[in-house]
Amino acid sequence: MSIKTETMTLNMGPQHPSTHGVFRLLVEVDGETITKAEPVMGYLHRGSEKLAENFLYTQFIPYTDRLDYLNAMTNNYVYCAAIEKLLEWEIPERADYLRVIVMELNRIASHLVWWGTYLLDIGALSPFLYAFRDRDICLDLLNEISGARMTFNYIRIGGVKWDAPEGWVDKVKEKVKELRENIAEYDTLVTGNEIFQARTIGVGKLTKEQVINWGISGPLARASGVNIDIRKEEPYSIYDRFDFNIPTREEGDVFARYKVRIAEMYESLKIIEQACEQIDEGEIIHKKGARIMMIKPPAGEAYTRAEASKGEIGVYAVSNGKNKPYRIKLRRPSFVNVSILQDLLIGENIQNLVAIFGSLDIVLGEVDA
Amino acid sequence: MFRLLKGFGVTLNYFRKKKITIQYPDEKVVMPERFRGIHRFFPDKCIVCNMCVNICPTDVITLTGKKHPENPKKKIIDTYNIDFQGCILCDLCTEVCPTDAIVMTARYDNLSSYTRSEHFKDIEWLSNNHVYGNYEESGPVPEMGERGERK
Repeated sequence: MSIKTETMTLNMGPQHPSTHGVFRLLVEVDGETITKAEPVMGYLHRGSEKLAENFLYTQFIPYTDRLDYLNAMTNNYVYCAAIEKLLEWEIPERADYLRVIVMELNRIASHLVWWGTYLLDIGALSPFLYAFRDRDICLDLLNEISGARMTFNYIRIGGVKWDAPEGWVDKVKEKVKELRENIAEYDTLVTGNEIFQARTIGVGKLTKEQVINWGISGPLARASGVNIDIRKEEPYSIYDRFDFNIPTREEGDVFARYKVRIAEMYESLKIIEQACEQIDEGEIIHKKGARIMMIKPPAGEAYTRAEASKGEIGVYAVSNGKNKPYRIKLRRPSFVNVSILQDLLIGENIQNLVAIFGSLDIVLGEVDA
Repeated sequence: MFRLLKGFGVTLNYFRKKKITIQYPDEKVVMPERFRGIHRFFPDKCIVCNMCVNICPTDVITLTGKKHPENPKKKIIDTYNIDFQGCILCDLCTEVCPTDAIVMTARYDNLSSYTRSEHFKDIEWLSNNHVYGNYEESGPVPEMGERGERK
């Protein structure tokens, strides 16, 4: 005799702690197995792209901070790089080095937030405290150079806003050593933990084909064996001058994503060290860039992309020769990466939902823009 | 099982290390010189050029000027308001100001209030915002930790 069963619709969010923001997931469960998942987004929509059309070119920079607020420097950079491409400006070398240092510091801070909150999601409290201790080292350095801890508004069209304060570069070198030691501690603390491994190995497998078909980028793609990193693929800024590796793994499960992100932090530290060695005195902004209200690119269009901590971020800018952009299109990695949920969650256990969802590392400011 | 205990070892090790937390309301983090806290305004320096109004991405600054009593070609500031409900502390107003009349201080706390209208700060409040910041050469700079009086 067969028992008559029916599926249940479960509404996760919009106010759910593991979404790290306002994100809604409509899940259909058959017993404990997920049969359908539908992400619902837009709760944090601010219309950034439309707002850009009414702003001077520089005025939009603070808004790019608020897309992926955990990794604001790369957002700043990629927008400014698009406008610089339109203007065909040469960027002073020192500005490029400062940009790379702050972007990589910010990438570490962003990965540390992921590391802390992910483990918090799956039930470990103390790693969160370690992660935020180390993140504070990065944020303090960024605070000193840009004057803010999260929404930096530091990179300008044509360079950077401020030169590094006295002794800042030496301080970064020192802190890099400290961070390296601290991150090594994480392996002893969490990576080897049997409970953690049982919870993550083999969970939420993402195949190479899925990654390519859904347009996934960033650590998520690299954990599934897709070796793509814009820093190597199409070196922007001055990334071709540094010696670093792209950590990849073949497994594609949650544990692989964890390992890739940890390895990436070490690579970022390597880049920062090299940049601090190579940096020279010099100009920090293009001679026309300091007059921020006068920026007027010629008519045309440009697309730039960069490797943010979440994946490939792109800005497509169209100018009609006026002092305001005609159109700004933002390619936000979190938005693309979150779409995989509807495919990835099917057939998984409901208990693994948070473990998988957390491993995607999305920021809702970027999903909804 | 051994690796699990190794993890606990890291935690236990921290008993003998230095504390890194700060007892917030009693002790305060000293922000660096460039920190972008709430504004301070110097009415004497302002030349009513409207640059800050034009650059503000959220349109929260409003100002009016009047004629200089002695030199009718010049203008002096009459009212200057910032609506801190919408201010995103992006620092662009400071960046464009040709005379550094509007600066950002390192003040970052005790700014919440019960009504929306209290976030609307006028010229008096902004020029009385005596806190440390990156403007040593201009105006009285009180000792660190001293906070401006609130309305």
